[in-house]
Amino acid sequence: MKIKGKKIADISVMIAGKAGDGVLFTGNVLAKILKRQGWWVSTYRDFPSNIRGEPTNYTIRASLEKIYGQADDIDVFMAFDCGAIIDHADKIVKGGIFLCDGLGLAHVAPSRIDGRTYHIFPLRKLARENFQSELYKNMIALGALSHILDLDFRVIEGIISETFLKRKGKKIVRKNIRAVRLGCQQAKKMIEQEEIHPLVEKKDSGRLLLSGNEAIAMGSLAAGCRYFAAYPICPATEIWQWLAVVLPEYNGLVIQTEDELAALNMALGASYAGARAMTSTSGPGASLMMEAFSLAGMAEIPVVVVHVQRVGPSTGMPTKTEQSDLDQWVYGSHGEFPRIVLSPGTIEECFEFTVKAFNLAEKYQCPVILLTEQDYGQNLRTVKKFDLTKVKIDRGKLLNQEELEGIKGYRRYKFTPDGISPRALPGMKNGLHMVESNEHDQNGYRDEDSENRIRMMQKRMRKLENAAKDLIPPRVWGDRESEFGIIGFGSTFGPIQEAIAQLKDRKIRAKYMQIRTLWPFPRKKVEEFLDSCKEVFVVENNFTGQLGQLIRSQVKMPIRIKNIVKYSSQAFRPQEISSQIQMAVR
Amino acid sequence: MKKDKDFHLSDPTWCAGCGIYGIFASLKKAAVALDLDPEELVLVTGIGCHGRLNNHFKAYGFHALHGRALPVAQGVKLSNPSLPVVAISGDGDAYSIGLGHFIHALRRNINITYLVVDNRLYALTQGQSSPTSHRGYVSASAPYGTKENPLDGPRLALASGGTFIARGFSGNPKQLASLIEKGMTHRGFSFIEVLSPCVTQNKVNTIQWFRENIIQIDEDPKYDPRNRTQAQGKLTHEGKIQVGLIYVDDKPSYEDLVMPDRDNPLVWNDLNPDIERFEKIMEKFQ
Repeated sequence: MKIKGKKIADISVMIAGKAGDGVLFTGNVLAKILKRQGWWVSTYRDFPSNIRGEPTNYTIRASLEKIYGQADDIDVFMAFDCGAIIDHADKIVKGGIFLCDGLGLAHVAPSRIDGRTYHIFPLRKLARENFQSELYKNMIALGALSHILDLDFRVIEGIISETFLKRKGKKIVRKNIRAVRLGCQQAKKMIEQEEIHPLVEKKDSGRLLLSGNEAIAMGSLAAGCRYFAAYPICPATEIWQWLAVVLPEYNGLVIQTEDELAALNMALGASYAGARAMTSTSGPGASLMMEAFSLAGMAEIPVVVVHVQRVGPSTGMPTKTEQSDLDQWVYGSHGEFPRIVLSPGTIEECFEFTVKAFNLAEKYQCPVILLTEQDYGQNLRTVKKFDLTKVKIDRGKLLNQEELEGIKGYRRYKFTPDGISPRALPGMKNGLHMVESNEHDQNGYRDEDSENRIRMMQKRMRKLENAAKDLIPPRVWGDRESEFGIIGFGSTFGPIQEAIAQLKDRKIRAKYMQIRTLWPFPRKKVEEFLDSCKEVFVVENNFTGQLGQLIRSQVKMPIRIKNIVKYSSQAFRPQEISSQIQMAVR
Repeated sequence: MKKDKDFHLSDPTWCAGCGIYGIFASLKKAAVALDLDPEELVLVTGIGCHGRLNNHFKAYGFHALHGRALPVAQGVKLSNPSLPVVAISGDGDAYSIGLGHFIHALRRNINITYLVVDNRLYALTQGQSSPTSHRGYVSASAPYGTKENPLDGPRLALASGGTFIARGFSGNPKQLASLIEKGMTHRGFSFIEVLSPCVTQNKVNTIQWFRENIIQIDEDPKYDPRNRTQAQGKLTHEGKIQVGLIYVDDKPSYEDLVMPDRDNPLVWNDLNPDIERFEKIMEKFQ
């Protein structure tokens, strides 16, 4: 919690219960209210891979400053059952407030323990008695939260109306609004003035509240993706679900495949025929895609693969976050071939990098991987509206019919100085060629001659030699003059930024390099950064320190780096990074 | 009017007497009969001896990974439905490593043609048993005899909702060409299994053996390929191998159901974002 004057400037509300309780729904409505009231919002879900019965919790954080992840503590806690308190008591800040459905317990006077206030708030009972259905417990809970956070009732009414009017009608809208009012009134009776956490007033400016998965789906549409093939898998499915609704309106196509082998092979077929094509996956699905990943490299077919990382190995923990699949895409599959692996760190970058990914795939005629994580893949954040005027579509050396007719003896895999050969599409006149999964000659026909093999291998591998100018460079944040450096990729962006601020408060200055293209590895920039640091910490959500290993293998200088890793299935909290660095440097 | 030679890129190098020669000839005949242009036809092959078809047949070619000809072919067709697409697999390709794709392609009913070249073993890898090798068949992978029961492609296709199911024989290229031609004009997924002897590896299922063991399905004057029950009966009947047009159905194709604008294939769309339209999409996230 951060305070500004007498009001709150940064707050985290955890809603907990069992799967099936409507935790996500309640949290999403709260997130939307806070966003509409002008706050920067970031949510964090900790759900089991299960539809009903297991404990689940969802944290909505709002701040006056832009935030990219969870805070260290929870300030307000709303639980649909008592069990949740036991699981999360340690995360509640002093001065925090608990509201918990007693599940039949009689109403008891609030108790204060260790500066925290505990209330039994009979959500289900109120719902049953007033609305004859426990479903209304969610809106009653929202009402109680609206009292504690002093939320704007007009905003709440507006959002409830948007949520229910079309699907359920006016009557249900009114009933839900009544439930919110009831929750608010009950909370007023029960909660003392000093327990209220009123927020600083702000105004919204048409910003968006969305997940990384949605931003990627939207980015792909902007980039001209018109063919999407995938197999259902957590936590990547939102990309598909969004495109399934929108792409048909753009004369595009979304297809559910029998498995991930088919998904990537179909995307390659579509791309070969000239569509901008994409697939998305996670965990075991990515392993199945390794086979066709290699084909994309050999046949030089542009394609974009989104991998929303989850906890592995094996089935792992399908709805939780990790960064353990970096090695898979940097080193993966059989044989050697060029590939590009991008790692967005924010929702804005999810959109921008997706557009970039399609351009890079076509320019370099190779597979491009967007490596993201469940953390910002599924959680919501506020962003400014995306700037569509910045979207430029570059189809690289794709020939049109007129250009193709001007070429004498067209060869699909022609040896060129930059290794990239002009591309014709099936159906075009004068462009007949072969696409081979075997090693092939310049026309694409199978060729096992050693001389040809050497030249073809060099042609493919040289495509990315001079790509650095087009790739997304690492970005350096924090105090550039400081001697302590932090390196990370993906979702660690938020917690590292906040850890740097915490370290600053403790008189430790640090800087941070966010690696945004994992492959081809930005060796020069990383070497410069390493050179400017006395000590370097590589922060990542995995066991073996894959980014640390990658850096060690790529930089041509003796270096000492320390890995700060976390593999608990949860994203970093800022304190976990700042305290480890503080201990190490003192 | 095109001629066979317009689709002839080079002389093939399969073993003398290989069944794939018959398929090569039939495919050319069908392309001529349909008045296709090599530059509009896409031939997607899998891994096996049949995969060499691309090297000799003049058309746009895609030699896919083992078992993956179908997903690639379906991706091509959906992006550009104006292209005739023929996918070709071997029995190992189609019924073993790529079996999942086969069943789902039948369910999906995309307007492509699928030829499965059945020589009853893995030829390119030197003669292992395949899903169509009969029980007891002695092969490089089963020196004491194959223990599994063989799989029947057309029977499986019928159970999977196939809308065009046929079986041809490489020794009868005239009939095969006619089946391919019919398949290519069928609106939906057309599946043609082709019995094709391997002269080098398979000393049991020889051309003579096939000749003796096949029976023309239309020899039965009462046979109606639109009658599912009859088709099921013929395919379940132990004995001779039924050859000919086995089953046809008029279910809508995948394209009929999903393609928003078939005359304007998505590959030729203007991809630049319509900013105003996009603003409306973003509003939903406010």
